[in-house]
Order: sequence, then structure tokens, then C-alpha cells
Amino acid sequence: MAATLRDVTTYDLKLAAPLAAGFVLFFVTPLVILLALSFQTDQQGGHYGLTQYVNFLGDSFSLGVLGSTLWLGVKVTVLTLLLGYPVAWLHQRSPGWARGLIMLLVLLPLLTSVVVRTFAWVVILGRQGIVNATLAWLGLIDTPLKLLYTDGGVVVALAQVQMPLMVLPIITALSRIDPNLADASSVLGAGHWRTFRKVILPLSLPGIVAGCLLTYAAAITAFITQSLIGGGQMLFMPMYIYQQASTLQNWPFAAAISIVFLVSVLVVVSIFNALGRLSRGYANA
Amino acid sequence: MLLTRRNLMQTALTLGAMHAFPGLTWAQARPLVFATFTGSWEEAHKAVLVPAFRKAADNANIVLDPMLSVDQIAKVNAAKSNPPIDVMLHDPGPALQAIAQDLVEPYPVEKSAYYKDLIPAAQVPMGPSPFFQVVGITYNPETVKTPPTSWADLWKPEFKGRVGITNLNSTLGTGFMVELAKMHGGSEANIDPAFKAIEALRPSLAAVAANPGQLATLFQQGQIDISPGNFNAIQILKARGVPVEFVIPKEGAIAFKTTIHIVKNSPNKELAFKLIEAALSPEVQATLMEEPYLIVPTNTKVAIKGELAKTLAKDHAEIAKKFVFQDWAKINEQRAAWIERFNREIRV
Repeated sequence: MAATLRDVTTYDLKLAAPLAAGFVLFFVTPLVILLALSFQTDQQGGHYGLTQYVNFLGDSFSLGVLGSTLWLGVKVTVLTLLLGYPVAWLHQRSPGWARGLIMLLVLLPLLTSVVVRTFAWVVILGRQGIVNATLAWLGLIDTPLKLLYTDGGVVVALAQVQMPLMVLPIITALSRIDPNLADASSVLGAGHWRTFRKVILPLSLPGIVAGCLLTYAAAITAFITQSLIGGGQMLFMPMYIYQQASTLQNWPFAAAISIVFLVSVLVVVSIFNALGRLSRGYANA
Repeated sequence: MLLTRRNLMQTALTLGAMHAFPGLTWAQARPLVFATFTGSWEEAHKAVLVPAFRKAADNANIVLDPMLSVDQIAKVNAAKSNPPIDVMLHDPGPALQAIAQDLVEPYPVEKSAYYKDLIPAAQVPMGPSPFFQVVGITYNPETVKTPPTSWADLWKPEFKGRVGITNLNSTLGTGFMVELAKMHGGSEANIDPAFKAIEALRPSLAAVAANPGQLATLFQQGQIDISPGNFNAIQILKARGVPVEFVIPKEGAIAFKTTIHIVKNSPNKELAFKLIEAALSPEVQATLMEEPYLIVPTNTKVAIKGELAKTLAKDHAEIAKKFVFQDWAKINEQRAAWIERFNREIRV
């Protein structure tokens, strides 16, 4: 009987052909063209070499832009995790009606355009915005604080905009944990905090890793939020690429910095993935 | 034909496909594609220029494709032999790029009925200028009691932390830098004095906007009280009830020629010509001069009236006196280096 069962892993590969063709046409080909473009030594084309990469990697300013972009992602991810985990936890612990409400609140931002959400933050953080108005009303400040066009403002706005990407995977991970495990832990004498630290947190690690990965990738590439909240003074990689490609029409350099950015992001993603594998081992141990 | 499920499916799919790709069924020439700017420009062109063109061109089909100048260049560059755009609209910097990259046709000047009536600055053989953009000082009259009179007023100590500028990605930002350089003994070829001046302005800066559109938001939010600004953008803000005024500084207003071009290899050259003629015509320009558009006419047959006469200039002679046109060929030579330098020096 077992022999007649079809092995589900050996389905005909032909079924994947249309998707594969689509990928090659719309994803791999442009990427190859981008790579080729990045090796052009001048804007007119014709000559190939490593000039653009040397220009980028040999320039402390450009490396600074890359560094501050990657670091921005770290800050946003940490903040989103710190704020998002309790929300996911609350969702898991709430009665049915409250769960629906929390889920709606988490999903609501996803249903709004990112431009609208970002403009809301412009209103909140502005000189006469909600934050400054409240602080002034409470008598805590005399002159409005500068919140917009600061690093902190960008981090907070990005954290809110990307929050669903963090909360949803953690909710999924938490919902997979058998509730009996927590009971067993407390029967064996562990307090709430210890149960959380020793049982719940390790088991939810895959969700955390997935959430961090999504948030990180979305935060560092968020052109709109970065430029609207950060203003023209703060330069991050997406704006740098846009400036070189569009304003200056320097496509080879824009292509080279896109490739550098892509590779850096892939490196960060693989570190996250390695952590993810470690966490699976930890969770199963 | 039998009415089977398969036949029905086939018919439905074919009809659907015909709807999705109209080109399949009506093999006709595509409509004239006019790449205008987004926002108020698109509105003005849709309301005034398009109807005038339709009247002149026998109701020919026209599509507006609003985007930035640099994106128009990228789009045409990507398909030079069969460009997806017939008429391009450019600020002075990108216009020279488009010409240098051989993307536009010379304008058939001898065929044109209106070209010779344009003010001399607007007579550009590679693409005439149907409109100007005028940059002066914009300020919030509720917080700035004495109207500013000079660019130098931006450096006044009372505006500490209240001044806005844009970075050099935009024509506005770059043009302002050139004007600063000129004020302090520099020129299109020597920008150093402008960077020194901006360095001195730094304590006063509340924000460096990523684009001119962001300046509008900054005024609305009360984030800034004074900035270099575009005359038309201010009118839109004013119409929305934002307290904001525009003045021409005594150094003169910075004026940008907005030029209109026939794209090389366009299949619709005749229609493109008709559209540009409509844009140059006194009728269209006179309408665009009125509320709510307030666009500066370049055709000398149009008498300047209303809000424009009040705020900008009474006639074309005064325009010639009060407006400063910059040498964008010179600017383009070094613009990349300036942007780079601005990136490095004007960071928080």
C-alpha cells in the first residue's frame, strides 16, 4: 500500500515553468542588466571596469550613508520588536472579541496608503503638532521641540508604519504554542516571568526572526517615510540612489550603489536566517 | 455555432481580451502623449490647454502623462526609436540634458504663428517656452510682520530656526544656490560663496525640504515662516487658506523657463506641433494667466493683468527688468558636484 502512494516532493517540475519564466523575465533579467550597467565606467557607456565600485567603497561619505541606513534598520527593528511583542502577546491572551479588535487595529495601517500614514506623522511631530501641543499645554516646554526631520522622528514613524510586519508573524508563532506548556511550567514551580523566558520566548523565536527580517527590509528601503520625515538633510540609500539615477542621470553609479545596497541587505538577511536556524534548534531542544 | 460551455468561454475570453488590449481590435495610431508636470500644472493643462488643442486639431485624441522632467528623459531614453511620449515639458536643467542626449526635435519655427511674438528669452529653437516659473521669497504674514525685501533677510536673527530651503535635487534649490553665489560675488561657475552663505544660515534652518512640494507642507504645519518659493505653489496654498505671501526680492525674482519640446522619432509630430502652438497662443496664455492658475505668459500679445500685474510685473518690459534668468548650461556642468557637496556639508 505504501508503495503506491505518490511522493509529494516529486511533482512534475513543468508546473512551475510559467512562474519560473516570469521570474527570469521580470526579476533575473533586470538584475543582470543592472549588474552590467554598474560596471560601466562612464555615463556614456562603452567602457567597463570597477570604477563605480571603487568610487563608492573608497568614499567615506558614501559608506557613511550605507552605514546610517543599515543602522536605521536596526533601530527601527528593535523598537518595533519591543512595542510589537506585547501587542502580539496581548492578542494571544485576550478573549475572542478583543482578539478581533486587536487584529483590526494591527491590520488597519496596512489598509491605509503609506503616504497617508507618513503625513499623519508629519502632523503629529510638527512644531504645532499633537506632541508639542500637549507638552506645551502641560507646561513642560516653552518652545516647541524639534521632532520632525530628526533621526528619532524617522525611527518612530517607520516603527509605526512597519508594525504589522512584526506583529503578524509573532501572533502566528505564539498561536502555535501549546497552552498546556505554560500550565506545565507553572505546575513545575516556574513563575510567570520564568515561564515566559524559558518556554514562551524560545518557542516564539521563529516568529520574532521572521518579523525582524520583514521589518528590517521594509525600514531600510522605505523611500517615502525616510524622505518625508527625514527631510532633505538626512540622506539614506534609497534617496541616494534616486538622486544619482533621476536628478543626475548617472545610471552606472546608481546601479553600482544599488548592487552594493542589495549585497549588504543580503548579508544582513543571511545573518537573520542563521539566527533563525539557531532558534529552531533552540526551540526543539 | 453550438452554444456549448467551451464556445461561451471562448467568446467571453476574447471579448475580455479585446477590452483589456484595445490595440488588438482597433489597429490605429496611438493618441498624442503629452508628458506634463504633476499637480497644478496637470490641472491647468487639462482644463485649458487640452480643450484648446482639441479645437485646433479636430478633436484628436490626447493623453496626459504627468511626471517629473528627469523621469520623462529616462522614459524616452529607454525607447528612443519608438518613444512612448510625443511632447515633453522641461525645466531648464533637464531641457539641456534632453537636447544633449538628442531626444528632441528642433521646433519648426518658420511654420509657427506665435513664435515671433514670444519674449526673446522664450524663443528657444529646440523648444519654445510657453510658461515661466518665478521664484521669490515666501513668508507667513501672521508671524513675519515686516514683509521681507531681500534674499539677505533670510539671515536675519529673528528668523533663527524658522527658515526653510530645499536641497539641490530640485530646480528651485539649485537656482536659489546660484542666486546666493551671485549675491556674494560668485556666479554659475563659482558656487563657493553660496555654500559659505548656507553654512552661515545653518542655525536658522528649520528644515531642508527634499523637494519644493514639501515646502508647502512645512508652511501648512507652521514648521517654517520664510523660504524661497515658487509663485504658483504659493497661490495654491493661499487658495487653501494657508497664511502665506509672496514677494519679489530687490535682487530680482529667479525665473525658470519651462520649455516644451517635440520628441525625436515621435509618430505624432503634426499633432505635437499643434499642441505646442496652442500652448503658445495668446488665447490659452491669457486664460492661464487668470485665477486660479496665475501662470506668467510669455506671449507679448497678452496684456498682463490681475494678480500677476499686482504681485509680479505690469508688462513684459518689467518682466525683463525684474526677472533673472540663469545660465543652466554652465550650471549643468557642475550640478552633480554641487549636489554631492550639498549632501556632504548640509547634514544634521
